[in-house]
Parts: sequence; C-alpha cells; structure tokens
Amino acid sequence: MGSTEGLAEWVRRAASGETSAFSELYRRTRPLVARLMAGFAPLDPDEVEDVIQETFVRAFRALPRLKEAGAFEAWLLSIARNRARTRLERKASVRRLEDDIADPEPETVPALPEALQLERDIEVVRQLISELPEGEEKRTVQLFYIEGELSAREIAEQLGVGKSAVTMRLERFRGRIKRELLRRVLAGRWE
Amino acid sequence: MRHLDDEALHALARREPDAVKYFREHLATACEACESFLATHSGPDVLDGQVDAVLLALAPPRSDAPLDEVGFARVRRRLRAPRLDTRKWGLIAGAVAAGLLAVVVVPRLRQGGTGVEVGTASQEPGVKGQVGRIALELAVVVRGADGSLRRLDPDTQVDSRDVLLLRYHATEAGTALLFQQRAGEEPQLLGPFALEAGTHDLQDPQGLSGVSLEGESGPLTLWLAASPTGLQPSVDEVKRVLVGEGERWEQGMLAVTRFDVRVRSSQNPR
Repeated sequence: MGSTEGLAEWVRRAASGETSAFSELYRRTRPLVARLMAGFAPLDPDEVEDVIQETFVRAFRALPRLKEAGAFEAWLLSIARNRARTRLERKASVRRLEDDIADPEPETVPALPEALQLERDIEVVRQLISELPEGEEKRTVQLFYIEGELSAREIAEQLGVGKSAVTMRLERFRGRIKRELLRRVLAGRWE
Repeated sequence: MRHLDDEALHALARREPDAVKYFREHLATACEACESFLATHSGPDVLDGQVDAVLLALAPPRSDAPLDEVGFARVRRRLRAPRLDTRKWGLIAGAVAAGLLAVVVVPRLRQGGTGVEVGTASQEPGVKGQVGRIALELAVVVRGADGSLRRLDPDTQVDSRDVLLLRYHATEAGTALLFQQRAGEEPQLLGPFALEAGTHDLQDPQGLSGVSLEGESGPLTLWLAASPTGLQPSVDEVKRVLVGEGERWEQGMLAVTRFDVRVRSSQNPR
C-alpha cells in the first residue's frame, strides 16, 4: 500500500510548500484513486476524471491542515469516495447541487494503525472473501478486488449484468467489511 | 435493538464510551441494517478510506506508474486559477472579440509561419491525406487584484496578483495545450483544451479560463499549441516543438502562438 513512511514524508514536504512534492504525491496515489473510481460503474469516463481532479484539488488545498501525515492515503480515499457518491447522487437527482457530502476534517484525522495492523486487516478481508458463498457476489468481488484488473463496467459486461448491479454488489460487500473493521476499531484501537 | 444511524455515528466519532461499548458488541455479528447504513454513509473519521485502502491492497501490486502530466496539470490549474467573475468577463469579452482580428494581438508564430497554412499532407504515421491546419490567434485580458479588466499587449508588465484571461480565434476545431515558460526553464503544461472554430474564451470543462500569476516573477511566456481534431501529439512532442526540437510532422501540424509578459512581484512596489 501507499501509506508508508515514504508517502508520509512526501506529504510533509508538500505541506511545507515544496511544489515538487505535490506532483510526487499525485504520481504515487492517482492510480489508487482511479482504481477506487473504477468501482463506480454508473460514472462515465469524463465524470470519473472530473471526480479524480476534484479529489486532488480538495486534498491538496487542505493538505497543510492535515494533522497526521501517515493518514494521507485513507483521508484521500475518503474524499474520493465522498466526491464520487455526491456525483452519483446528483446524477440520480437525490442530492441538490448546493449540497455536498462533507469530507473528513484534516485537523481531526486521527493517527492510523501501523502497517502490521493493516496487514492483519488484509488477511481478515481475504478470509471473509473466501467464506462468501459461491455465486455472483463472490465472483464480482474476486474480479474487482482480488484480480484487480477490470473496472465495474467491464465486469458488468463480462457477467452480463447491469452496471448498477455490479456497483451494488461491491457496495454491499464493502458494507460488510466496513462493519468488521469498525468492530475491530471499537474493540481495541480506540481504547 | 439499536442500529447505526447518523446520531450513533457521531457518538462513535466522539468516542462516547456507551456508544463504543454497545456497538462493539452489536457489530460482532452480521447486521444487515448496520451494514447497509455503513455502505451508504461516510465515517466515522476516515474509516471509509481505511476500508478502501485495505480492499484495494488485495490485488497484486502494480508497477510504478509515471506521472500523468495532463491530469496533474489540470489539478494544478484548478488549484491556481481562481473562479472568474463570469459577468465581468462576459462584458469585456465582446470588446476583446471585436478588436481581436483588427488589432495586433496575434503573437509571434514559431517556425516561420507554422499555423497559418491550411491543408497540408499529414506526415504522421497512421493519418492519411490532407489534414487541415489550424490558424490560431490569441488575445489576453488581465484582471487586476481590484477586479479591473484591461486588454494586454505582448511584453507588457503585469503584477503577480493579476490573472490572465485568454481568448482565442481558431479557423477550425481542434485541441490545444497551454504551457507557461519561465526564463531559462522548460515549458510547463497548464492544461489541455478543446478548441472550437471561431472566437471563444479559452476554458476547460470546469469553466476555468484564468492563469494566475501568483508566485511568479520575471519574464513569463504563455504558449498555446493547437492541432486539428484527430491529431493529438503528446505533451512531450509539443514541448519539443516549443523548444525548437520537434519532428517535421509535429512542426507541420501544430499551430503555436506565444504571449510574453513580465511579471512584477506584488511584494515590490508598483
């Protein structure tokens, strides 16, 4: 993952005003943000590009206020998800133009667990995927997250289902993982 | 039984002991209501980013990607360019457009007439037959820190608090790359643009059309390099043309205009 000390160092350099550090942060993290966007099948390529741009503009503007440099990657991905969801909801006319899903405040982003804990989390998620019943959801999750090559749109085409169906499967699975990680956070990391 | 909702999420974000204790136990087993809520709501904190980071780390690592120069230029441009007062810009735009063709605001063209001929044979591999070449002209209006607008002649001194607003005239549709170049440095990409035939403000899909001079000082050149629709030379290919090293087909297909200004730092007295 990119949340290494190396990335944190670039975050510190960017926060101190070093211009070249922004391009290095962009180079290192854009693929991750783009991969996250690939899960939002209803967004067309132009919308995806716009969301990616907006994500980095917001993150870079607020970067000097980010309390924990080591949390940059998670913070950036949170912003990206919020931007994509806002765009989707506006597209579906369930969110007004002037409303926006609020991004995590950079001043209050907490320190995140060490890399070792993240490795454990990855193992937990692998285990949860292996325990999924065989079927379309498991296949979708494997194609998108484990193989990591196809976009949700491409998966929809390959499986012969609608774009929204793939995104919904991924979101449902992600909700399960989020519950598990939240439980783990509540069980130890905040005490 | 209590499930996650906005109030509970806020309580967890504030680490309220009762909420932490209850949901630690409640979330130990699958709960469709809570999972559904978590899937569609952000937080607490950056948990969403943590979840996505873990999920995206499941795939085999990819090799280091080079910098997406065009994408980064767009981000940089959006960071630097303040949103324009479109009402004021609209007022001045008509006047600029009227004067555009009559007044000498056409910047110097490179390579002895590049961008003024039409209908040359393409030298690019894969592109056959006659390809129209764009004739391109550029006018610049400066917006001062006080909001005032004035048309700018080349080689004029401007203030680093100023914003340059660009307007072009193209003989046909195409694409363009806008660069800025400081003295002694390589041209730096500010962004790609779609050009329409006729006279238009230079703006990207977000509607931004200003070049902020914040942080600049000394001579600065703006380059606009346009190619007809269907021919899209890479950023590096265009850069080579700007510094006089381009291949023949690149030089032949590109219409290049430049506009020079001298930027005075706003920290110095006017």
